Amino acid sequence: MTDDVEAAPSAPAAARHLAPGDVGLVAPRDFVHAEPFTFRGGQVLPGFSLRYETYGELNAARDNAIVVCHALSGDHHCAGWHSPADRKPGWWNNLIGPGKAVDTRRFFVVCANVLGGCQGSTGPSSLNPATGRPYGAAFPPVTIPDMVRAQRRLLDHLGVAAVHAVIGGSMGGMLALQFAIEYPRLVRRVLAMATTGRESAQAIAFNEVGRQAIMQDPAWNRGDYALGEGPRVGLAIARMMAHITYLSDASMDRKFGRRKRRAADTEPSAFDVQFEVEGYLRHQGQSFINRFDANTYLYITRALDQFDLEEAAGSVEAAFAPVEAETLIVGFTSDWLFPPEQNRALALALLRAGKRASYAELATDLGHDSFLLESEELYALVRGFLDRPAASAV
Amino acid sequence: MEKRTVDMQIIGDWVEPGTRVLDLGCGQGDLLAYLMQTKGVAAVGVDLEFSRITACVRRGVSAYQGDMTTLMRVFPERHFDRVICSRTVQELAEPKAVILEALRVGRALTVGFVNHGFWRNRVAMLLRGRKVRNEVYTTAWFESRPANPVTIADFEDFCAAHGIRVARRVHLAGNWRDPCPLLPNLLAGYALYDLTRA
Repeated sequence: MTDDVEAAPSAPAAARHLAPGDVGLVAPRDFVHAEPFTFRGGQVLPGFSLRYETYGELNAARDNAIVVCHALSGDHHCAGWHSPADRKPGWWNNLIGPGKAVDTRRFFVVCANVLGGCQGSTGPSSLNPATGRPYGAAFPPVTIPDMVRAQRRLLDHLGVAAVHAVIGGSMGGMLALQFAIEYPRLVRRVLAMATTGRESAQAIAFNEVGRQAIMQDPAWNRGDYALGEGPRVGLAIARMMAHITYLSDASMDRKFGRRKRRAADTEPSAFDVQFEVEGYLRHQGQSFINRFDANTYLYITRALDQFDLEEAAGSVEAAFAPVEAETLIVGFTSDWLFPPEQNRALALALLRAGKRASYAELATDLGHDSFLLESEELYALVRGFLDRPAASAV
Repeated sequence: MEKRTVDMQIIGDWVEPGTRVLDLGCGQGDLLAYLMQTKGVAAVGVDLEFSRITACVRRGVSAYQGDMTTLMRVFPERHFDRVICSRTVQELAEPKAVILEALRVGRALTVGFVNHGFWRNRVAMLLRGRKVRNEVYTTAWFESRPANPVTIADFEDFCAAHGIRVARRVHLAGNWRDPCPLLPNLLAGYALYDLTRA
């Protein structure tokens, strides 16, 4: 997911975090699970921690939690501001807040950085207690079900008795679906957007190019590098390439066209930045390496590639057999990474399996990142799906 | 709204409680919400517009945005107990394909349509020589969706020719309320059919 779909807030910088409808200043917390955790692959971690944020209050029945699942490069900070000086709020701030589509006056919103992540949760950049150095490539291969099972521990810790809804886009949508499969009695609703039950060859191919960029960088050193170091060039290139897949031809053309950057004072080389889009991508790559770990990028893209509901259960319908939640799948017409057909296929499989499922398709030209769109239509749909009291079982 | 209520009741009478129902062209989910409430059905609707899916989702009706034939093709035979095609059939691009597909995925099919053979429609055409416009078809030709002005006689012929069994038929007079047993193709304003495969 990109960082810049949300329009810049219009309030003056000093008071942006006080804007009505915003959750305001928020602070992350850490959940420490001090018992061994066994991955799907059989490897065991002595424990793990997840960094998370919550907004709103858990009600007396402890059944108003909404679990927000982030995408590949996202994190636990999905709404509000960490400090008044922040340049940007949480990544889904347009959707989450008091009175917004995900209304924090009514719901207790929980968002955690995934297991294997690098934004505070245990992952390849965490210290391996056995060696005193970062795990690096010694970290267990992490899967989408592993991430979900780790987050379940957090929900137990928070005292959540029932999850009103799990929502997410892209990889977050995979987690949301997996939540409903893994914990049918816990999850009442699933809202998955711009997602897929299994990546296409094209999506795997893009991930592989990103991984190659990282692994071919000598600084990767087979995953063994010190904190703050590593394959910065490779990671930046991986990000630049992936970033293109989150946008669309039309949205890039609108944003950059063929506009050129003014030449610098120094003697320009033929391959310096000439077009604005180049400068933009370079900036995206550079800012990414300051906040993201290359090994996490490898691990999570692998988890994405390996997510395959069909393979896991024999058929998508069989994978969905345990689901009790009411599901809403949303596809976006211009999403060519996880295109509408793949989203539609999820809804159809749920319906074939006899589940309560809906499919809506929004016409946008923003590509894969459309799920972050500021759209009243999308808000109305999300609000309508979440606000109704829990439906009685079929 | 009154006209709507009558055919909703008849359609509802033909639905068995607790069954699985698919509504082709579900709109905002009025009919399915009614059937969920009165018959406890497991309902699925299909429509083309995002805003209508939103309206369905808001009231707890499962709805799929997309083409109805594409949707039906993914289901096994007799997946639904009943498919409903209410006031949709005359706007379909390929009514025959839809009806036959609906009879594959559904054990039964309800079709409801405005009878264009109704005498007032005939008179309007004959005297005015213009596209029929009335309280149901309010728009002029240039702002109307493509329509197949089907009549009761046309529909009966179609069923006979395609081996479709008519389990029940209800013809309603011009007020869409009173039964119209006599000369329905001339005197009925609205028709409802309960169909199965022969």
